[in-house]
Amino acid sequence: MKVIDLVNELKLHLFSGKEGLNNDVSCGYTSDLLSDVMGHAEAGSIWITIQTHKNVMAIASLKDLPAIIISSGEKPGEDTIEQSNAEGIPLLGTEMRSFEVSGKIFNILGIK
Amino acid sequence: MRPIRADIHIHSVLSPCGSLDMSPASIIARAIETGLEMIAISDHNSTLNCNLAVALGNEAGLSVLRGAEVTTAEEVHCLAILPDEKATALFQDFLGEKMQHIKNVPAKFGYQLVLDSDENIIDEVEYFLPAALTASIDEVERVVHSLGGLFIPAHIDRPAFSIFSQLGFMPSDLTPDAVEVTGKIPQMKYPVIRNSDSHTIDQLGKRYTTYMLEEPTFQELAMAFRGENERRIISVTP
Repeated sequence: MKVIDLVNELKLHLFSGKEGLNNDVSCGYTSDLLSDVMGHAEAGSIWITIQTHKNVMAIASLKDLPAIIISSGEKPGEDTIEQSNAEGIPLLGTEMRSFEVSGKIFNILGIK
Repeated sequence: MRPIRADIHIHSVLSPCGSLDMSPASIIARAIETGLEMIAISDHNSTLNCNLAVALGNEAGLSVLRGAEVTTAEEVHCLAILPDEKATALFQDFLGEKMQHIKNVPAKFGYQLVLDSDENIIDEVEYFLPAALTASIDEVERVVHSLGGLFIPAHIDRPAFSIFSQLGFMPSDLTPDAVEVTGKIPQMKYPVIRNSDSHTIDQLGKRYTTYMLEEPTFQELAMAFRGENERRIISVTP
């Protein structure tokens, strides 16, 4: 599944990083602690978080994450958006809470 | 110049987690007893016991700095040490603006008490003080520096509420005056200090930093962080 498919299906807002919309999504990871994501997220995981600090982009790049979904209607700052464009990793937004958007992605990806 | 022991991370009864014997008067008496020459009161997201502590410190002959342990929007704890009463009042206004209005439950989290010089309770803060502010770490740093204060990420090596736990690594554009470490002292490009983070009286005086200063003042401490005029950090306790 591509990032763009999830954007369309879940009506996610695209803040930045549109070059990465064709990145492949194989699973997901939900966490707001960057040290936890650094330690445990698998490559190919779309990352669901309310954390908007620009360090999220460096972690996503380091871990080969295809995109980041900012939940609860939180808004990333300018510096985070710039990093997303520079890295080509989409920064997406939704009003849904992390639990809800994670559940939907879990089902769409057909994870058992 | 001479070696001066300082501990600039101490919680009073204003922090819900601060024990009820942490009145400014008790903190000052114990600090003097244990050989500290300079302390800062740094409650969670509030400076409301600082002026009392400074006044009591003046009477007792202990240098007391005004400060707070701020919880940024990323849930990173950072010490803000302010240069004077005016800057502290402005910083308190900033904290008030950025505070989330989550009610404290004293029975569960502890009391948040503001005291007067006779140790009477003159106020009890209604909102849960340690909750994250709606201000990012960058904004907090900017405000602290604009007020002439010192910005010091707290316990950066702890597994919770630290730069490393919340943000994974030190953001390259952050310009802290020093960093506080609880464990092994790392090689860093910032001055590394140790404080007690005391919540109870018996924790005071056990963990501190020894500085080479002319006298125990905010300005001298700032000079030590910048390594100016031979002011410096001599050592930290284990």
